[in-house]
Amino acid sequence: MEDGRLYRFLRRFADIRPQEARSALYLFLYFFLITFTFYIIKAVKENFVIGINPRLWPVADLITAVLIGFVVAWNARLLNRLPRKTYASRTLVFFVSNLLLFWFVFWLRTQTKFGISTLLVLSKTDQVYIGSVLGFNLWSDLFIAMSVTQFWIAVNDVFKLHQAKRMVGFLVTGGLLGGIAGSLLTYGLVHLINPVDLILICPATLLLTLVVVNLLHVERERVQDGSKLSPTLAGSGVGYLESLRTVRGNRYLRILAGVLASSMVVGQLIKYQFQFIVKSNYPNSVERTAFLAFFFLAILVISTVFHLFTTGQLLKRFGIRLTLLVAPSVLLVAALAAFLIPVAALGALMVWAIGIRGGERTFDTTVGQSVRELLYIPIADDIKYKAKIFIDMFVNKLGTGLGAALYLISYHALSFYIYEERRPGVPIQYLAVLVVGFAAIWIVLIWIIYAEYLGAVKQDLEEKWPNPDKLIKAHVDMDSTLLLFELLQSRQKSSTLYAMNLFRLKQMEKLTPEVMEVLAFKEDELKAMSMDSLLDVGGQVFYPGVEEAMTADDFEVTIREIVALPSYKLLMEQHLGGAGGTKTETEVARMETARLTGLMEPTPGVLQSLARLLRDPSPDVLNYALDSAAIHLQKDHIPLMIPLLGNPMTRQAAQCALAAFGPRVMDTLRKHLQDPQERLDVRKAIPEVLTRFGNQKAADILVAELCLREPGLEEELVQALREIRLEFPDVQFREKKILDVILSLIRTNYAAILSAAGGPAREGGGHPLPQGKAAVDLRTKRIFDLLTLVHPPDDIVKAYQNILQGTKKSVDSSLELLDNILDRTTKTYLFPLIEDLPPGERERRLKKLAKGLGGVSP
Amino acid sequence: MDIKTRDHQDVVIFDITGDLSRPSGVSLHQAVKTEHERGKRNIVLNFAEVGFVDSFGVGEILASYISTQHLGGKIKLCRISKKLYLVFQVTGLIKILEIFEDCESALQSFEAL
Repeated sequence: MEDGRLYRFLRRFADIRPQEARSALYLFLYFFLITFTFYIIKAVKENFVIGINPRLWPVADLITAVLIGFVVAWNARLLNRLPRKTYASRTLVFFVSNLLLFWFVFWLRTQTKFGISTLLVLSKTDQVYIGSVLGFNLWSDLFIAMSVTQFWIAVNDVFKLHQAKRMVGFLVTGGLLGGIAGSLLTYGLVHLINPVDLILICPATLLLTLVVVNLLHVERERVQDGSKLSPTLAGSGVGYLESLRTVRGNRYLRILAGVLASSMVVGQLIKYQFQFIVKSNYPNSVERTAFLAFFFLAILVISTVFHLFTTGQLLKRFGIRLTLLVAPSVLLVAALAAFLIPVAALGALMVWAIGIRGGERTFDTTVGQSVRELLYIPIADDIKYKAKIFIDMFVNKLGTGLGAALYLISYHALSFYIYEERRPGVPIQYLAVLVVGFAAIWIVLIWIIYAEYLGAVKQDLEEKWPNPDKLIKAHVDMDSTLLLFELLQSRQKSSTLYAMNLFRLKQMEKLTPEVMEVLAFKEDELKAMSMDSLLDVGGQVFYPGVEEAMTADDFEVTIREIVALPSYKLLMEQHLGGAGGTKTETEVARMETARLTGLMEPTPGVLQSLARLLRDPSPDVLNYALDSAAIHLQKDHIPLMIPLLGNPMTRQAAQCALAAFGPRVMDTLRKHLQDPQERLDVRKAIPEVLTRFGNQKAADILVAELCLREPGLEEELVQALREIRLEFPDVQFREKKILDVILSLIRTNYAAILSAAGGPAREGGGHPLPQGKAAVDLRTKRIFDLLTLVHPPDDIVKAYQNILQGTKKSVDSSLELLDNILDRTTKTYLFPLIEDLPPGERERRLKKLAKGLGGVSP
Repeated sequence: MDIKTRDHQDVVIFDITGDLSRPSGVSLHQAVKTEHERGKRNIVLNFAEVGFVDSFGVGEILASYISTQHLGGKIKLCRISKKLYLVFQVTGLIKILEIFEDCESALQSFEAL
């Protein structure tokens, strides 16, 4: 099948991209064949194990648990030494030869036509048979553990994190279908050929797997430009001890191992409960094999249906944590239900056992497996390879071993053999107590790992660029800098204005040694200027060294005392009442007067003069007047100050001055912000003033205005809200309102993209025109700014930055983080806008989702 | 503080020495009023020998300025210190008081009237 057709076909079943189609198919087949083989072996093996004495069941599992460690070490060494393709091929050939050997041993026991020979006699003894069963049990566990691990390593080799996440459902479906086919075949053939001969089907399917694995590696090398996976990449120096050290040294991995181990203990104990009941009900080997094959078939059908319709939905709707909690919670309740069943009611117990074991298997092969793999996502590749070998193969068996040990102890301590025949419910209830305990531990560990999971995902995200506002605030005192610029500018204009500004700086305690240094830098220039000033009419003389004089301790006191003198007030009021500050004065003189009014006490004459200056035509005069108005804080001045917000030359001073009034000015500001008759420039300057208050009321005013969705104000409102969020973390934002605005922005972006797609054909599909794309990008930025209001700002900012400029891995981690912290609706509609999708695919998704979003009209 | 007066035509020049401050014990304003009683309306305050001027001293200058102004006269200042000039700049008094670098200029300004 051509790649394009294959993609179109597979797209119906999985969220894949065109270049992923072949690899996805091979991986699907790979998993299918492994589980197909395993489910034939599984029914045969389980039949053999149940057939032996129940006290030996845990022995079989303990042997596996103990020996698997050595096999893990051997496997790790192999993985380290051999190229990935060679490693996978050789292990498959090894399994084929083993299967043929086991078949031969079990086949001998079934033969009666041979003459008496030592081999035949030996094969018929109980010790040899039990030994063969235990060996086959160990081998089958080894086969599935190694095969599944190899499979997921192959998935990791072929796909990146977010690709793997999209693909995991599809691949697990392949595994489930393989299991169903294997079980179906076993159930159909077991009455025709005996359970032993069923083993012979498996070598053939494994040889097919060998072909698929080789095709997969060829495809991977093709897609990844011929790069070969060296053994070093597979896990440089990975050994059993290093794997162990890796897990021991990483808290997240330790918890992950704990989650897996506790789930395995629960699963193991439930298995023994199940085997107890099955042994009592099915004493015949063929009937038992048929029942087990049917049971596994039923479980897999249910699992498949559950998986197809529920796993993805659970993950989407409830996220990883709640999805992970489903299995232990249900099993805990089911275990408690064992105490409600009479201990001798075999039929009821059988139903209960099928239910709990079926539930456990269903959860394990669907939700459990999918989500467990997702938990590896935030782990760095090198650590993942080392840890995965240990966790998947050793910890898995450690859990099994612990479950087996607990059963063995309980079997002997509580004399289970007494109840085997007549009251099998008694040991079931004893084991149920243990199930409840370990299910509770499992739940607690899930709770812990979820918190760690998000932390681990965040570690992949680095700040790509610092927040400019934050950076400036951290390194620059904006108020002081502006005053300093004002001061330096005033030097050029008037030594008196300079002196006044210098004193204002001193009053504000901003005349720091650093500022003094900056001022000294210009001294030569000023000395030259002072020569000119000597010629000025009125004799304004510049005295070098005023800065030092100003810093003297008594200077400020002297000025304050002078300003308080009745004679000073009298003279200055006379001056202000006359020509002072009027248009008959020069601009510089008016600037001086405006500065002076801030120094003087707020007598009616001073305030009247200040009101006059607040109407001055010169922006420079207005800026000084605004600064003085910020000192006297007269309510009557506010109406004069508001219009100055609309002038770019006076905006900043007006914002500072209005902010100086404090929260009492908020109602006035709200009125102007909400007034459609007010000049837009004035309205646009108000959010910045409200930001400075940083209180709940300010945030509420801004959010209320934002909800009105006036495009002209959006940028300023979002910026102001974002700043409040960063500077005042205690302020709360109404989540529903913010999310409504976000959805509205998403809707606008949908319309813009779909509108461009519906327009004249353009190269590369329906990309919006450059200016349209810029608008879409700007809105996307705004969406993220708004998300910082209702989610941890650092997480959102990092996610946004990494989506824009991150590596493939950090982009994946960003999407993963957002997937876990955003609400379902937002992420459903936002993801198609931010995911890396081919244009056609993006449009297809937007069109599909637009219906649910409503109001999108391209 | 010590104040010596000398006449230059109808202008009285106050040659002030020492500190013009609260503890100095001599009132500039009182001295100016004495000259008013003598019929003198135009005064030049020579600060060439003045050391320290505090707010009390500035108050004395301003009180003298007001009372002279009420009589239709004028007070002009000459040879003030850098620091006092700075004080006058910061307080805006530079807009009101007439200040000269040297006393001759101050006297000439009266002649120009």
